[in-house]
Amino acid sequence: MQLTETANQVYFDKTKAREKTCAGWLKEQGKAVRKLILFAAIAGIINGLGVIVQSAVLAFILQAVIIDQLPWASVITPLILLAAVFILRSLCVYWHQTWGFEAGAQVRASVRQQLFARFLALGPAAIKQRQSGDLAAVTLEQVDALENYFSRYLPQQIIVGALPLIMIIVVMPVNWVVGLILLLTGPLVPVFMALVGMGAASANRSQFLAMARMSGYFLDRLQGLPTLKLFGQATRELENIDRIADDFREKTMAVLRIAFLSSAILEFFSAVAVALVAVYVGLGLLGLIHFGPAEHISLGEALFVLLLAPEFFMPLRQLAINYHDKAAALGAADAILAILEQNTDAMDTSCADDSHHDKINLIEINDVSKSYDQRQILTRINLQITAGEKIVLAGESGAGKTTLLNLLLGFEVPTEGRVLLSGQTLNRESAAEAIAWVGQNAYIFHGSIKDNIALADPDASGQSIVNAAQAAGVTEFSAQLPEGLLTPIGERGYGLSGGQVQRIALARAFLKNAGIILLDEPTANLDAANKALLLDVIDQLFANKTLIIASHDAEVIHRMDRRVELQQGRLVS
Amino acid sequence: MKDLWFFLKLFKPHSAWLTGGIFLSLLTAFASIALLTLSGWFISATAIAGLIAVDGNALAFNFMLPAAQIRALAITRTLGRYGERVVTHEATFRVLAGIRSWFFQQLIPLVPGRLSAMRSGDLLSRMTADIDALDALYLRLLAPAIVAAIGVTTVTVFLAFFAPVISLTTGLMLMIASVWVPSVFNRLGRAGAEEIVVLAANFRIRQIDMMQGLADLIANQAYERFSDFLGQFSDLMINTQRRNNRLSAVSSALTLLLSQIALLMALVLGAISFKDGLLSGSDLALLVFCVIAAFELVMPLPQAMQMLAKTRKAARRIRQITEMPPAINSPTQAIALPDSFDLQFNDVSFRYSDQQAWVLKNISLTIPQGSKIAIVGASGSGKTTLLQLIMRFYDPEQGSVLLAGQDFRHLDADALLNCFGVLSQRSQLFAASIKENLLIAKPDASATELDIAVKAAGLENYIGYLPEGLDTWVGESGVKVSGGEARRIALARLYLKNAPVLILDEPTEGLDSDTERDVFKALADFARDKTVIMVTHREAGLGLADVVYGMERGVLREL
Repeated sequence: MQLTETANQVYFDKTKAREKTCAGWLKEQGKAVRKLILFAAIAGIINGLGVIVQSAVLAFILQAVIIDQLPWASVITPLILLAAVFILRSLCVYWHQTWGFEAGAQVRASVRQQLFARFLALGPAAIKQRQSGDLAAVTLEQVDALENYFSRYLPQQIIVGALPLIMIIVVMPVNWVVGLILLLTGPLVPVFMALVGMGAASANRSQFLAMARMSGYFLDRLQGLPTLKLFGQATRELENIDRIADDFREKTMAVLRIAFLSSAILEFFSAVAVALVAVYVGLGLLGLIHFGPAEHISLGEALFVLLLAPEFFMPLRQLAINYHDKAAALGAADAILAILEQNTDAMDTSCADDSHHDKINLIEINDVSKSYDQRQILTRINLQITAGEKIVLAGESGAGKTTLLNLLLGFEVPTEGRVLLSGQTLNRESAAEAIAWVGQNAYIFHGSIKDNIALADPDASGQSIVNAAQAAGVTEFSAQLPEGLLTPIGERGYGLSGGQVQRIALARAFLKNAGIILLDEPTANLDAANKALLLDVIDQLFANKTLIIASHDAEVIHRMDRRVELQQGRLVS
Repeated sequence: MKDLWFFLKLFKPHSAWLTGGIFLSLLTAFASIALLTLSGWFISATAIAGLIAVDGNALAFNFMLPAAQIRALAITRTLGRYGERVVTHEATFRVLAGIRSWFFQQLIPLVPGRLSAMRSGDLLSRMTADIDALDALYLRLLAPAIVAAIGVTTVTVFLAFFAPVISLTTGLMLMIASVWVPSVFNRLGRAGAEEIVVLAANFRIRQIDMMQGLADLIANQAYERFSDFLGQFSDLMINTQRRNNRLSAVSSALTLLLSQIALLMALVLGAISFKDGLLSGSDLALLVFCVIAAFELVMPLPQAMQMLAKTRKAARRIRQITEMPPAINSPTQAIALPDSFDLQFNDVSFRYSDQQAWVLKNISLTIPQGSKIAIVGASGSGKTTLLQLIMRFYDPEQGSVLLAGQDFRHLDADALLNCFGVLSQRSQLFAASIKENLLIAKPDASATELDIAVKAAGLENYIGYLPEGLDTWVGESGVKVSGGEARRIALARLYLKNAPVLILDEPTEGLDSDTERDVFKALADFARDKTVIMVTHREAGLGLADVVYGMERGVLREL
């Protein structure tokens, strides 16, 4: 593949910048749960303090037993204290984990709400561009992937800031040389890790690309597998897959070999600190070292500092373990932000001048054009519709009918011009209020037929639902179902014919009892007999409403009062 | 569990790396325990020796050896940790690379018939993310478990040399912490974990419902009601997760408490032994420090158990694909392909599954070698399905398809594909050079052959214009290729393959009329002595056909 160093760099910089945005967003989300994160951190810090007390008591007991040879009575209290600390520490472990969880849970619930609000704002036109399965994966898995960042990583960050410092302060008065050893090795750890991290960053660059390349290559070959097979080349391709997968392994390991240096450094300092402390206090106890407080050291003090030495590095090691939680959260944030940041068509809701509005016109389309990127869909449409009119919108498929309907429904906004509803600039809310719409493929939701009819008004009386069902001819087929109108249907109306779905949708529109009825190709997917039946139903149901039907069916056109035709995005009469 | 065992079998070729990683993990763990244990002993021993020295006795304590050992252990632990990390990951990535190519190999018989309903994004995520998730199987489950098992045994045996009672209590606590706690809490959490899977599946279904019916919801002012409902669902999931998290918090707390109880018991029992003169002071310190350090062995186990569910799910998802039966079965003893290519449909009916409607109904059709037919009809009438049966992506449910009188079912499916050259509205270009894209049709084609194909397909101007000519990179991440140029590349492939039967599926769909004319002109020339089966709803290509059929709702009739 053509990979130049510059392409590599550009790719990496882009990724880095994106990562920064994502990190900023994560920080923003964390603000609301700051308290919980703090609680979790405090539980962790108290646990750390417990370690200090425990080490002191343990050292005291060993000193008392081995050196001072004190009787049992004098170590009973310390033993009880020790047991108490053990229980306190266990409780802290529990609290640390449960409070952390609450922080993550609250963030997740709030992010889900944000996503739901966003889906609504984006509207059907934009949502249709994406796989609904992918969107579900974002609200489900990706949001869940945020959990550990808030429940573990952030509290641990606070702990790392506090606990080692406290330990040094405690150790200093006991033995300042050991305190100094910790003080010197401790801060060196992040410094060295940062140095290694920089090395890893440059190695990361090639790995980033190797990963993107591997994914891209696999996707390419997966999509092309039928073609490869057609040419008898599928088995041959295995060699390439092997090569790419192996290449990825090598690139990844190159990064990891460096990245692991940082954990080796942690390990090194932790091990060296233990060894240094052990040898220093050991030789001090033997009286072979005269540097610092070595000569006056007791076994208790020696054991205390030895016990604390590995604990000193514990918080940092834990943070290193939690580091991949951060990486996972950044990845999830990227996917979530891709939705939250997607541009919506600016919905102009403020404008409401009706100074020169002709009251007779219920709907007024003034000089409306609509284009996507380069493609012009509608060009300078002018159309007035008065209340009670029966109007058919004719035109070949692709002429722009559906787009025009989407504009009427407020699902999309015009690129130029305006759509007025009762003199006000139309928006999604006012359209939903005034218009009952039956789309080309009316959607049937999981639930009963009754639930589906009562979509707009779930509190509608049972009688009114039955009336609507009867009027639209739903009862004709629901009567034969085991549970009548309460029969569960769903997953795109599985088990129902296209005509039956249409009737449920018509009942839905009828029950809504809106002033304007908008039907998009109501007779598509129907044979001649069913078509006539349905059109009769439509005539009856909506006799006193404003009716707009988009259709290129001759029979529909024949039945309506007025006909407007779209040809390649222009209205012709 | 069955799924995980299955993948363990795929680990075998890399067993040297895998055992090497476990060996280094053990070495590091032992060095880490020994470092703390030896240090504790060393300090106590020096303290006691120091006391004696103060008493006036000659200093007989050899401090050089333990001090050197401590330094050696510190270095072993550092290097061991690094080596362990590198080797275990090397092992893991070798295993994963192997599984990836194994996965691809499993896919080959499944396309296009069986996998046509699957989105490539979904397949990709199984091939990348799910296989990546299998890394936990060795790194977080197998290796820590083996290290814990060997480590716990060794520590227990080691302690027995000094104080059998302490060895017993510590061993017991370690066993409880490493076996009983993870398994009990895994069992307690299983109901919740399964509940979460069910809730998540329902959440997904309802959200997909909501996304697909978004227009209806907005137009009926019902979106808020639905999204509130989903919000409640999310709360329900979080509640279950909260319960499980609480369980896991209790198990962490319990593991800690067990380590502390072991420590307390070692301390008390050790002190008793010391007072009874059965244990020296320095050995008492050694025991206490050893017990403290030993619990590092079992600390990663509760978390490993939490990974188990996720890893198992990933394994399941991968196996879901690889265990699919292929859409067609190749016969064990395939008949050699006949020399003539007369095709025949014998009363063929077909549907994609038992639950779906018939797509083709009682189709009988004879296509003698060299004849040229066109099939017209609305989209969804079954034209493309007919072509797919000709290429044997599927077998008919009723009736049979014959090649020179031989039922397709007796022929080798891969060999059969050699008879067909396909040009469709989707020209698959690979991310590769134009040349490599052409060579797919004939890997051993000479430069002259390539040249002829390029000319015949009307590509020479386009390629002449590119600075890198045939070596220009196309496909994703390459030079942008227009639909017309892509079609011409596919046309050149058709020339190179030079198959006796041409299958043209809306061959000029989406092309401008100039290109369309070019393509048909080229085809008319090329197809002179070949069988042509064309599906179209455009007038332009019909001149190519001798017979035109109409297709409506799965029924074929001559026009």
